[in-house]
Amino acid sequence: MSSPDEYESLRQAILDGDEEAAAAIGHEVAKAAENPLGAVEVASEVIREVGDKFGTGELFLPEMVLAAEAMQAFMAAVAARLEADAEGGASQKHHKVVIGTVQGDIHSIGKNIVATMLGASGYEIVDLGVNMGPMDAIEAAEKSGASFIGLSALMTTSMPYQKEVIDLLDELNQRDDFFVLVGGGPVTRGYADDINANGWAPDAAAAVRLVDRLASGETTPSDTTLVYVEGE
Amino acid sequence: MRLERILDVLDRAHNGPVYKEREFNLNVVASTIAAKVKKFGLTGTVDTENPIGSDDDLADRFYQAGFEAAVEIGLLCSDTNRVIRFSAEELQGLVDEAPSEFWLGEGDQKVHFRHRGLDDPTPPVWTVPLSIVVSEDIFVDMVHGLAAIEVVDCLEGPSLETVYGRPLRSGSPYEHLAGRYQADLMYEGIKRAGRVGMPMDAIGSSTTHYGLLGGYGVEGGYRPKHDLVTILSIGDFWTSYESLFKLTQVYVAGGEHISASSWVMLGGYPGGPEGTAVASVAYTLLMYAVFQGSRGGVPPFDISYMGNSGTRAQWALSVSNQAITRNTNTVYHSIANQVAGPGTEMLLHESLVGMVTMAVTGVTNVVGTRSAGGRLTDYLTPLEHQFAGEVFKAAAGLSREQGNDIIRKFIPMYQDQLTTKPDGRPFQELYNIDTMTPIPEWQAMYDKVKQQAIDAGLPL
Repeated sequence: MSSPDEYESLRQAILDGDEEAAAAIGHEVAKAAENPLGAVEVASEVIREVGDKFGTGELFLPEMVLAAEAMQAFMAAVAARLEADAEGGASQKHHKVVIGTVQGDIHSIGKNIVATMLGASGYEIVDLGVNMGPMDAIEAAEKSGASFIGLSALMTTSMPYQKEVIDLLDELNQRDDFFVLVGGGPVTRGYADDINANGWAPDAAAAVRLVDRLASGETTPSDTTLVYVEGE
Repeated sequence: MRLERILDVLDRAHNGPVYKEREFNLNVVASTIAAKVKKFGLTGTVDTENPIGSDDDLADRFYQAGFEAAVEIGLLCSDTNRVIRFSAEELQGLVDEAPSEFWLGEGDQKVHFRHRGLDDPTPPVWTVPLSIVVSEDIFVDMVHGLAAIEVVDCLEGPSLETVYGRPLRSGSPYEHLAGRYQADLMYEGIKRAGRVGMPMDAIGSSTTHYGLLGGYGVEGGYRPKHDLVTILSIGDFWTSYESLFKLTQVYVAGGEHISASSWVMLGGYPGGPEGTAVASVAYTLLMYAVFQGSRGGVPPFDISYMGNSGTRAQWALSVSNQAITRNTNTVYHSIANQVAGPGTEMLLHESLVGMVTMAVTGVTNVVGTRSAGGRLTDYLTPLEHQFAGEVFKAAAGLSREQGNDIIRKFIPMYQDQLTTKPDGRPFQELYNIDTMTPIPEWQAMYDKVKQQAIDAGLPL
């Protein structure tokens, strides 16, 4: 699959949130002789476009969720082929992200949007839901082999639990094991910096770019100079 | 409070239909709202050139769409994954039970909340501030400064950043302590302002029920007969044990008045402005029904900037307000969600727009101001609250057409800054705390924007 028409049908399947069509295209891509990375790149561009349009109010949450699910169906269909090609030198994302809304906070929408966008962008998501205890986040990251812990807070009174996770990692001498990312309505870049988080982003599309940057190896978790990506 | 209604709600929260999160959000909320928008011919009715419309028939169709959506959607309890749902007859009966008027407060500070209609000169009620976090060391000064404003009727916030010097953590014993501690500090500030007896909304510093358990109906705490308990459900047709605990605590403490509130996201599961307005109506009706609200309201936020000062959100706000105030006799409440901070003209312009819209569309009570979007500690001052209250009361009695003409002049002044959100400056930089007066620069901005409002036709 490499012709403009074929790419357009993949693009349309994702934009339409057509999970079945996206999966079918994914299976074709997996069987084809060509390198599948071209199609994966097209799909990635589409989902970034969807995220950006959601951020500017041109697309709404139901459309974004369905597009992300179609993207995930496509990626699932090509996963085995990518694995096989990876042994031959091609690359793909393997990072896992443990994500949740912190303790004392039961707001889920923002966390779900970020999880959806990261999942659609190829990251494996371990979603611990809401009211997530600090140690639960750390233990889940350990068990799953995650590289990232994403902490959402929508209330000023739940933000101290973001710091609590970082403090626990310090005290457990595990600060170098995970990148800790923080976000949510009242969570400013300044606050993220103050608590020694590794990353901060103001919205879901920016969060994907943030994780991409950190996953590229430009820094380590123990370097707590805040990495941030502004919204577009 | 009627115990049988509480028990009925709890029963439904434990025996209602079961849904998983995705299914409820997409297949129930999003699908139902989209279907009602289509059924009632609401697609494409958004008019960003005229954020405050004057079409009574359109407002009524939004009400009908919202009512049907409320019956079909219900509220999902996040702790049980079951939906609290009512038949049309039940919902109508429960909304009809909501009072059309009530009093809060004591002595010469008593405040009359009563249903307002469209273009209604009945004075609205101004409650300040939203639960924006301030430092513990200036908390009483801030309350004093806010309570001293003549046009302020009631207090809700601010919120404490710390309790006895310790970080205030949600759901922890610190929050339980903060409930009673905030009451002490509020009474001290009110006393200094000479407004003993002023009504309050409980409890700004505690979003969970723990603060209410610690500070409402206990000796020296918030007063069950004179104060209002704010139940802020978690958004987009969800509720939780937290909110239901608040309901039962009001009953247990012998309380009488609940503010049944939440928000809907423009751009979220309800979709665009039309769907958001339908969702606002539907969720408001359900909040009155589930929580026996004396005051209710579910205003929209635009998810792209987390505020509602822009044209799309103002339109959704206006039409949903009109739908409720034309078709019920309830005491309706709303929130103008500004994003700019104190010390900026933008905050005053946003406030002017939001408060004019509220006044002419029948809102009884607004809680505000959301200075700096509520995202920064100490970023609020009394002055923007004075300005917003003056506008709110002056605009009561204007027609919707007059209101629309005014806000159309001001929205373009800030529309392109809604996503950049100027922070402004904190209280400590904008006020002389000893004299509780604004610095000349901030005072001059107030004077300038007030003159702009007068020139635009607002009878300030």
